[in-house]
Amino acid sequence: MSSNTAPATPTAGLTHDADTSIRGYAELLRAVIVKRFLLMVRYPVNTITQYVTLLLLFLVMFYGGSAIAPAAITETLDGIIVGFLLWSLSIASYAGLSWNVTREAQWGTLEQLFMSPFGFGRVMAAKTVANVLESFVSGTIILGLMLLITGRTMSLDPLTVIPIGLLAVAPAIGIGFVFGGLAIRFKRIENAFQLVQFVFIGLIAAPVDQYPLLKWLPLTQGSRLLHTAMADGVALWNLPTGELGVLLVTAVGYLVAGYATFGYCQRWARREGVMGHY
Amino acid sequence: MQQPIADSDVTAGHEPSGETVLQVSDLRKTYGSGDDAITAVDDVSFDVDRGSVVGVLGPNGAGKTTTIKSILGLVIPTAGTVEIAGVDAHAEPRAVYRHVGAMLEGARNIYWKLTVRENLAYFAALGGQPRDVARERSDRLIDQFGLRDKADETVNDLSRGQKQKVSLACTLSRGTDVVFLDEPTLGLDVEASMELRRELRRLAEEDDVTIVLSSHDMDVVEEICDRVVILSEGRVIADDPVTDLVGLFQTQAYRVTITGELPDDDRNRLDARFNADSWEHHGAQTTFDITLTDGDVLYDVIDVLRAAGVELDDVDRIDPDLEDVFLEVTGTGPGPETGGPGQPQHVASEDGEVSR
Repeated sequence: MSSNTAPATPTAGLTHDADTSIRGYAELLRAVIVKRFLLMVRYPVNTITQYVTLLLLFLVMFYGGSAIAPAAITETLDGIIVGFLLWSLSIASYAGLSWNVTREAQWGTLEQLFMSPFGFGRVMAAKTVANVLESFVSGTIILGLMLLITGRTMSLDPLTVIPIGLLAVAPAIGIGFVFGGLAIRFKRIENAFQLVQFVFIGLIAAPVDQYPLLKWLPLTQGSRLLHTAMADGVALWNLPTGELGVLLVTAVGYLVAGYATFGYCQRWARREGVMGHY
Repeated sequence: MQQPIADSDVTAGHEPSGETVLQVSDLRKTYGSGDDAITAVDDVSFDVDRGSVVGVLGPNGAGKTTTIKSILGLVIPTAGTVEIAGVDAHAEPRAVYRHVGAMLEGARNIYWKLTVRENLAYFAALGGQPRDVARERSDRLIDQFGLRDKADETVNDLSRGQKQKVSLACTLSRGTDVVFLDEPTLGLDVEASMELRRELRRLAEEDDVTIVLSSHDMDVVEEICDRVVILSEGRVIADDPVTDLVGLFQTQAYRVTITGELPDDDRNRLDARFNADSWEHHGAQTTFDITLTDGDVLYDVIDVLRAAGVELDDVDRIDPDLEDVFLEVTGTGPGPETGGPGQPQHVASEDGEVSR
């Protein structure tokens, strides 16, 4: 790197060197969370509609299923509740990221995120953390309502449920990064976003006990262990180490692969000159 | 934005620091490959001094946006280097984004559902600014841009001009000292445009902010830019101070008004020696344009007229503006030499005294 140009000098109070340390990043994370919270509060109808839609979907499943096959529903109700919880968490985390990229491109703010001294990937990671936090809060509310409606009780040890829930959702975040990257490169891929939601249902309900290799797919192992922890009341430290290992490897693997794909796609978009286009 | 600046003084009296803060060298961007390859930017090089305002101009498709986005790293160039504040922009983009901000799509690049103050806080955090610094700067920017009574309103409720101001303030809230602006006055009414122009000049002059802007509005560019880089077909075809560019064309063309009939011989002599053209008759008066290689040659013209016995009424310099220069150098229209647009500026009176 040559340096023919003069070094930067702060001037007249308008400029101040960026703090990109952990403290600065914490400040960014706080700003992202505050922004989401402000928008949730400012547009309550939109926020409430999201909750009501999820709840209605569950009610249709529960009462509809009870009317058609009451015995089957009673036998699998715990599985349905855990599966529905994981599905709502996954959708919120996945869609929060992929839709967010699309909306930011539409708003013209995507390039502003890219030009952050924290780096584009880290800014998107901060937004993802905010998404996941929000999805866990909304998931807790939905779970409470589901238990209230069905009259069931479940083991909700936070030391077990939260870590497994986070690891279970991680592959969905990875897939969110993949689709976020594809949205940057190819723009209008909303129809593909919708399809993934149905794929998630299949993955969460996958018969892992029957076909053990399925545990390496996204969400499958998380769904299984979350069911074991919540419905059967097995604590984290009592779960088989090997099964937890699979959960950890798939969580980290899909997350890292998704993040790498996101990075590749944004570079691809910049090479093609379509970053921020919509 | 409360202090009006007289138009004539808007660029006067400000000397950029002379430190090069942006250095673009041999920048090239080619899309596609083989026979389908399109070179949008072709070996573009220019420097920008700290505290200066530089306009990047060019006809549609000239490569302005690709150049600016390549500088910012939003487009990966095929070749060339960009240094900002001594840092290789493509090798260390995050280090560069400590200094650089951009308002690329006008009022689009802010969050319309957030208030002015919330936008400023968010973008400051995005720029890694500590909360106390950000809050202080936010207050200052709100005052500076005359947004105090709008600070807690959502951007959606503001006028277009106010949105543009918020967008610029958000760019500055990140603590940047090099700012890229794409069509900053597009869509603004005259008053809002004037306010924004004053603010941009003030930022450069008082806060030492370096501004690189692209605009189709030549009045804006002429008024606030110290220098312009003109692109055509991806190449730099002019890179000069605005005054030099305009001055280059200013020295050459005059409109002469006489009373009386000029004999054909004298008229032919003027045509041949001084490229006289655009002859027009208005009652007893005749006007014609001449293009001279040197202002002193004007005395020779006056001698011809005096010898012919006609009365010299007026000599106006055809004073080109930046738009004329732009049209001339990009070859997209008639320039002042060919009798194109331009406002005549009075330089001589009946007594033949030339005041240049």
